[in-house]
Amino acid sequence: MSASRAEPTVTPAVAAPEARQGRPAPWDREEVLAWLFMVPGLLVLLLFMAYPFVLGITISLTDKMIGFKDYAWVGLDNYRMLLSDPTFRMTVANTFIYSFVTVPFKLLLGLGLALVLNQTFIGSRFVRAGLLLPWIVPTAISSLAWLMLFDSVLSPISWVLKDWGLISQNINFLGDRVNALASLCVANIWRGIPFFAVSILAGLQAVPQELHEASALDGASSLGRFRAVTLPTIRPIVVITTLFSIIWTFSDFQLIYVLTKGGPAGGTHVFGTYAYQTMGYSALGQAAAIALSMFPFLAVFAAVLLRYVRADD
Amino acid sequence: MVGSNTVSNRLLKLWLPLAGYSVFLLFPFAWMLIVSLKPDAALLDTRVNPFALPHPTLKNYAYLLSQTDFPRWVLNTMIVTVGATVLSLFCSILIGYALGRFRFRGGDTMGIVIFLLYLVPPTLLFIPLSQVVSRFGLYNSYWSLILIYPTFLIPFASWLLMGYFRTISKELEDAALVDGATRLQAMLKIVIPLAGPGVLSAAIFCFTLAWNEFLYALVFMGSGKMKTVPVGVVSDLIKADVYFWGSLMAAGILGSVPVAIAYAFLVDNYVSGLTAGATKG
Amino acid sequence: MNTPESARTSEQLLHEATTLRLSRRGIIKRGAVLGVSSAAIAGVLGATGRAAKAAPFTVLQQKKLNILQATYFVAPGQAFFTKLAEDWGGQNNVAVTTDFVAWPDLQPRIASAVEGGSGPDVIEMWDTWPFLYNENMVPVQELSEEVGQRYGGYYEWVTKTASVDGKWFSIPHGASSAAYCFRISELEKAGVADPKTNFPKTFAELFEVGKKLKANGKPIGQALGQSLGDPPNFCYSYMWAYGGMERKEDGTTIAINTPQFTEGLQAFVEAWPAAFDETGLSWDDGANNRAFLSDQISATINGSSIYLAAVDAAAGASKLDYEVLVDPSDIWHAPYPSGPAGQFNLLGSRSHAAMSYSENKDVAVEFLKHFYQEDVFIPWLESQKGYLIPMAPGYAENEMYTGNPALAPFPGVSAYSRNKGFAGPADQKASEAAARYIIVNAFAQAVQNGDVAGAIGQAEQQLKRVYG
Repeated sequence: MSASRAEPTVTPAVAAPEARQGRPAPWDREEVLAWLFMVPGLLVLLLFMAYPFVLGITISLTDKMIGFKDYAWVGLDNYRMLLSDPTFRMTVANTFIYSFVTVPFKLLLGLGLALVLNQTFIGSRFVRAGLLLPWIVPTAISSLAWLMLFDSVLSPISWVLKDWGLISQNINFLGDRVNALASLCVANIWRGIPFFAVSILAGLQAVPQELHEASALDGASSLGRFRAVTLPTIRPIVVITTLFSIIWTFSDFQLIYVLTKGGPAGGTHVFGTYAYQTMGYSALGQAAAIALSMFPFLAVFAAVLLRYVRADD
Repeated sequence: MVGSNTVSNRLLKLWLPLAGYSVFLLFPFAWMLIVSLKPDAALLDTRVNPFALPHPTLKNYAYLLSQTDFPRWVLNTMIVTVGATVLSLFCSILIGYALGRFRFRGGDTMGIVIFLLYLVPPTLLFIPLSQVVSRFGLYNSYWSLILIYPTFLIPFASWLLMGYFRTISKELEDAALVDGATRLQAMLKIVIPLAGPGVLSAAIFCFTLAWNEFLYALVFMGSGKMKTVPVGVVSDLIKADVYFWGSLMAAGILGSVPVAIAYAFLVDNYVSGLTAGATKG
Repeated sequence: MNTPESARTSEQLLHEATTLRLSRRGIIKRGAVLGVSSAAIAGVLGATGRAAKAAPFTVLQQKKLNILQATYFVAPGQAFFTKLAEDWGGQNNVAVTTDFVAWPDLQPRIASAVEGGSGPDVIEMWDTWPFLYNENMVPVQELSEEVGQRYGGYYEWVTKTASVDGKWFSIPHGASSAAYCFRISELEKAGVADPKTNFPKTFAELFEVGKKLKANGKPIGQALGQSLGDPPNFCYSYMWAYGGMERKEDGTTIAINTPQFTEGLQAFVEAWPAAFDETGLSWDDGANNRAFLSDQISATINGSSIYLAAVDAAAGASKLDYEVLVDPSDIWHAPYPSGPAGQFNLLGSRSHAAMSYSENKDVAVEFLKHFYQEDVFIPWLESQKGYLIPMAPGYAENEMYTGNPALAPFPGVSAYSRNKGFAGPADQKASEAAARYIIVNAFAQAVQNGDVAGAIGQAEQQLKRVYG
């Protein structure tokens, strides 16, 4: 990410709207138009999100049980309980490991894939289709495929490695914490690469080609051109994609739920699976507190990363 | 790309990395394909190489298509996904444009607020959302998901589009404004076409996320023939402690390959459009 | 079931019924004693004019009824239920729809339904759930008591797990139970003579045999992953066999940290690498089925689903997607071994509830009344080949339970079972302890790092947080 601090090479022309000829209609004024543009989306979000969102936060301050109408205000008790909960501490650690191992891999490998796919070559269409697959296969199903691949007894990976004489015992992919975390990371990276690749690939289309050529003529190496021309242009996309990827990885659920359900011995719980498990015995207040305790972490990443996006005007 | 296209350069920059990516990204998928084509007798037979496929069969596909409601699940998923994608994209283009290219009071705050809404995970949200779905009488209808999916699609798509709109140089738009075009005209005729790849990729994201979603689909539209592909497959092909592996994997293949091909055409469209766009600058 | 013998017994039943002028209940009882299939009993009831007067439940306008259940472990049962529900709907002008989801997915459906106030009208509840959702379940005290009395009164484990302190919000229908499912030939190879009768009676003996089984390449398989079926079933039972308990009768005193259980867990930890497949730490409920049927392990705890799958496969009608490498004639079942504190098993009854948010709750209750009638309920159980064990003694002698000696241990579990949360009820706290896998993780942790005292101490702390 440090490369993104490079000076922007594309200087936006400064053309004040006032310089326009004629008088803009009221609805054509930026301020008005901007808010008009916000309306449809905000309407959907307000209607379907605002209430659940506020309710979610409220519930985390109560001892609400699923299906019971009466509940009492307990203040921050649910959060306080988490501080002394060893499983929760493990959950936080796991989530950080899971995110900070996978996101950089996904970003770098995704960026690489985008650069590769941005070239034209024979059969490129089919290759692109094929390499997008991990992300398109419904996770509910692809995680079952991983479940087979990671099976402790019948894993085809273990079978082949045994056949080649590389291992003598089946690999215990999901049976101990370190292996299980590593296996989950591999599956998560697998699923996440195409997401980065597609969004960066689209961003690459906006790279001004003549700048590229100009700096090539100036004798810049391809790495130099990449840093000077390509990266500044796709920077907002890379940052936003990374940010959302962190959020998704932080709140991942399905993959881990299918593969380990948080086991062995709670060793692979992340916020999503732990909150879900807590709802299994109806403790909605606690579950909400678990899920919402992601919030400060994510808000910090968001604040840091958003600076990169909005600071360059 | 314009650089020297010597053979060794091409090998280093294209074919080698491509081979590496293909092995990693396609390996699990190849496994799915093998499982879906295996006859029952060979599936868990540890005496032979599990990747071998001496007698492929289409039985699992036949089972999926004739013995389950798979075609109907695909239809349901399509309706929901297309509906949610169109709605989200419409809202997100507008929001992304406003946030990305307009300066207005409260703009930054709105951007952050929309983003923050995203931070509450579905594993929690489905409970309060149940009340909303119930109040609007949407339980087990397409509208439940068409209206709920945008809650997690719009924030992301808006931000992504904001990013794409920012990658487009302001010169052209400003030139059009100087020529007397209205803001709206400049947006529709200049910026959005230029952001075509970005809009397409946002569409792809919305589509994929909606296509894959499980929990909301399970709780809000999981009854009778209304199931989506992931929900239908998991509830009909996992019989308690017995997994119908072949058909499950067949469902994964049938539920993704057509979409992947469609994407490839879309992506192809903008990647090969590169040279044309570039000359215009 | 249509053997000449059963035809003879049903003739005898008809004879007795007409000469002795047996009542409806008398015919059913006598039929059960004679081992007559319920279909035949229904025939006799019809012939003697004692068929249940199908209380004509008429609805003028067509109503809707949506029933949500877990996917059946024995597939034909699911089709059977769907048909009986639709038939009932057809007769009563109710549009019935049935849904089946993987049972772990039932809970989010229920949670969403009770919080939103709309959803399925009838829902299948698993053990501890009546404690969680009873505010949204229609009380069915009379109906449930009537069903219980019809079969001689519910077993204690049913009352403790399906009723909320004796108050009924759902009607129980039994549970799957577990026994040791083993390979006769493998045990013979390991030196057990006549394994059908000589399966190890204590865990200590089992571990000894297990060592030989593992030496022969096919260890005992035991799931210890975070899965709600097999892992708790084994771990709770083993804990009880060594005198450990989640809590005492007072409901709050934790009784897991005892010298006896520490010793027992130590023995298990030592046996784990020697006798068990060590990858069991990541197994879910289906993993042992796969491992067993693909000839990787010699013994594992399970319901009858492994055996029934092998039977199907041998008959060329495999419902599985993989080849079954094990012949059913080589599979047998034995009750759990015992420990120094006795022999135990974990059971919790499943039940059906009419949901109170439903606009059609009357219809839902009417359906339940119909469903739990003897001539509907028993054939439904039969369609699952005895997979669901009896909830009361009244039909425990039915042929589906006694007809196949290979399956004999399953219904017997009733006699030595306890519930989650024992010695308290299977309440919300018990479900919390189970959902947190406190007991299971004590086992998983101990076998991973060998620190038995530490694992038990940690479990004790966690149990105190839950029950305290």
